[in-house]
Amino acid sequence: MPTHTPSFPDLLFDDAAKLRRWESQLMTLLDGAGYREMHPSLVMRNPVNPSTVRFFDGDQLVALRWDFTEALARTLVRRFQEPPRRISYAGPVFRRPANSWDPVERLEVGCEHILTDPDQRLDADRELARLLMAVPALLGLEGCLLHIGHAALLRRPMEMEGIPAELGLEVARVLDRRAIHRAAELLDGHPAKARLLAHAEILLSGPDGPGSLADLARGPYGALLEAEAEQLDRVFSVLSAQSPKGLTLRLDLGDLRGLAFYTGPTLRLWAPGAQRDLASGGRYDGLYPEMGRPWYAAGFCVRLTTLLELGDNTEGGK
Amino acid sequence: MKPLLIALPKGRLEEELLPRLQGTAFELDPRALKSRKLRIPMADPSMAAILLKGADLPRYVAGGVAALGIVGSDILDECPVDLMELADLNFGVCRLSLCAPDHTTLEQLRLKPHLRIATKFLGATGRWLRQEGITAELVPLQSSVELAPVLGLADAIVDLVQSGKTLLAHHLVELTTLGKASARLVACRGTYLSEPDLIGPLAKALAALLKAE
Repeated sequence: MPTHTPSFPDLLFDDAAKLRRWESQLMTLLDGAGYREMHPSLVMRNPVNPSTVRFFDGDQLVALRWDFTEALARTLVRRFQEPPRRISYAGPVFRRPANSWDPVERLEVGCEHILTDPDQRLDADRELARLLMAVPALLGLEGCLLHIGHAALLRRPMEMEGIPAELGLEVARVLDRRAIHRAAELLDGHPAKARLLAHAEILLSGPDGPGSLADLARGPYGALLEAEAEQLDRVFSVLSAQSPKGLTLRLDLGDLRGLAFYTGPTLRLWAPGAQRDLASGGRYDGLYPEMGRPWYAAGFCVRLTTLLELGDNTEGGK
Repeated sequence: MKPLLIALPKGRLEEELLPRLQGTAFELDPRALKSRKLRIPMADPSMAAILLKGADLPRYVAGGVAALGIVGSDILDECPVDLMELADLNFGVCRLSLCAPDHTTLEQLRLKPHLRIATKFLGATGRWLRQEGITAELVPLQSSVELAPVLGLADAIVDLVQSGKTLLAHHLVELTTLGKASARLVACRGTYLSEPDLIGPLAKALAALLKAE
C-alpha cells in the first residue's frame, strides 16, 4: 500500500479504483450464487473484546464494527424468526492487529450461509469452498493455495481428555504458532500430555495433502476423529476434482486459528508473497445457538487490505 | 533470483550459533563476516544471512523480510508479533531470574511498600508480578542491569542468568526463577504457509543441524 497511515489507511486514486473493482467483482460473484447483501451498522454496542476500537456515545460504550459475522448475527437474531439463507457483505472492520504495524482498519468482502437443517451443512460447506476457489482467478491471482482444515481435530481430543477450556485455548494458540515445545510446557503434569503431543505432531506435520489423514487415523485419536476425517476426505476429494487451474488445494490439519469460534471445516486462502491469509472462513455452528437461535452457519471473508498490500505482484494489482 | 534471507542474532546466541553452521550449506562467508557487512552470503548461494540485534529480529521475520530466523525465547516473549515458532533449539539456555543483593529474601521484597525492579523484560516481569500478587514499579533498562541494585536505582532486577558469574561479581543472588530461555527457530507465517515446499524442508534441515540434545 504506497500511501497510508499505519493504522487507518487512506486509499488514493489507483488503490481506491482497485478496491472498487475488486469489491464489485466479488459481490457480483456472490450475487450470482444467490447471496443478498446486508450492510450492518458501522457502530456496534456492548463491545467486550479489548482489541476493538471503542469510544463513548453519550454515556454508552460502543465500538466500530470489529467483525461482520457478529454484526450480521446480532441483526439477524433481532429481525428474523427464520434466517435468510445466503448473505453477502462488503466494507471495513476495525480491530487491533497481532502485529503493531498492520492496519486497524481492514476492508473485507464476504458471505454467510445459514441453515436450519443440519443435514444440509456438507452441501453448504462445499458451496462456500467452490465460491472461494473462484476468487483467485477472479482477482487475477496465480499460484494460490487453499488450505482446508477442521477445528474439531484439536478441540475434541482436548475435551475428551478433560483439558480446561482456558488451557485448551492457550494450547491451541501456541500450536497455531507450530510451537509444540510450548504446548509440552503447558501440558506438563497432565496425564494425557504424551497422547496430545503425539496428536499435535500429526496435526502440525505440514500441509501436504490427503496422506496426512492416514497418519491421523493411525494416531492416538484416530477412532475419536473418524467422522471428521471422513468429512475432510470427502470435501477434499470433491473440491480437488473441481479445483481451477493455478489453485492448489492442501489439507492443513494444523490450521488451528480461531479454535474458539470455528466448529467444523475451515478454509484459508494464501497467495505467494502475502504475509497474511487472503481469505479465511469455515463452519461456526456455535454462534447462533449462543444467541438463542438453532441455526447452523458457515462463511468466509476476503481481505482486500491484504490484496492491496500484494500490490503490483499480482495481475489484479495492476 | 534473490537469495532467501535468514535472520541470525548478534551477541550472546551468535557465539554459540556460528560454529554450528561451519561446514554446512548455512555457513557464513568468513570474509564478509569479518567486514562490517550485516548481510552475509552463505555457502549455498541461494541463501544469505542478515545479522540483527535480537530485539529487532522478530520484526524482520514477521514482516516477511527474512523467511526464517533464530532468536531467544526471552525476546519472543517480550514482543507480540505473529510468527511461527518451529523449534526449541535447546542452546543458549539460561534462566530468567529475580535477583537482589546478598542476604535479601523474597519475603523482604514482598513487604516493601514501594518495590522497584529494574529489567529489560517488562512483559515477563509484569506477568510474574500479577501471578504472585506483588505490586512493584518497573524500572526499564536496556543493559548493565546488575548495576541498578548496587547503585540504588532499584531493589532487585529481573535478568537472564547463564553461569551466574556476573551476579557474583556484583554481590547479587537469585531469589526465584521466572522461566527458561533458549534459542528458537522462527519463520514468517505468510512465507511458511504460502510456500511450504520451499520453507518447510529448509526449516527442518536447519532445526536438525542446530538442535542441541
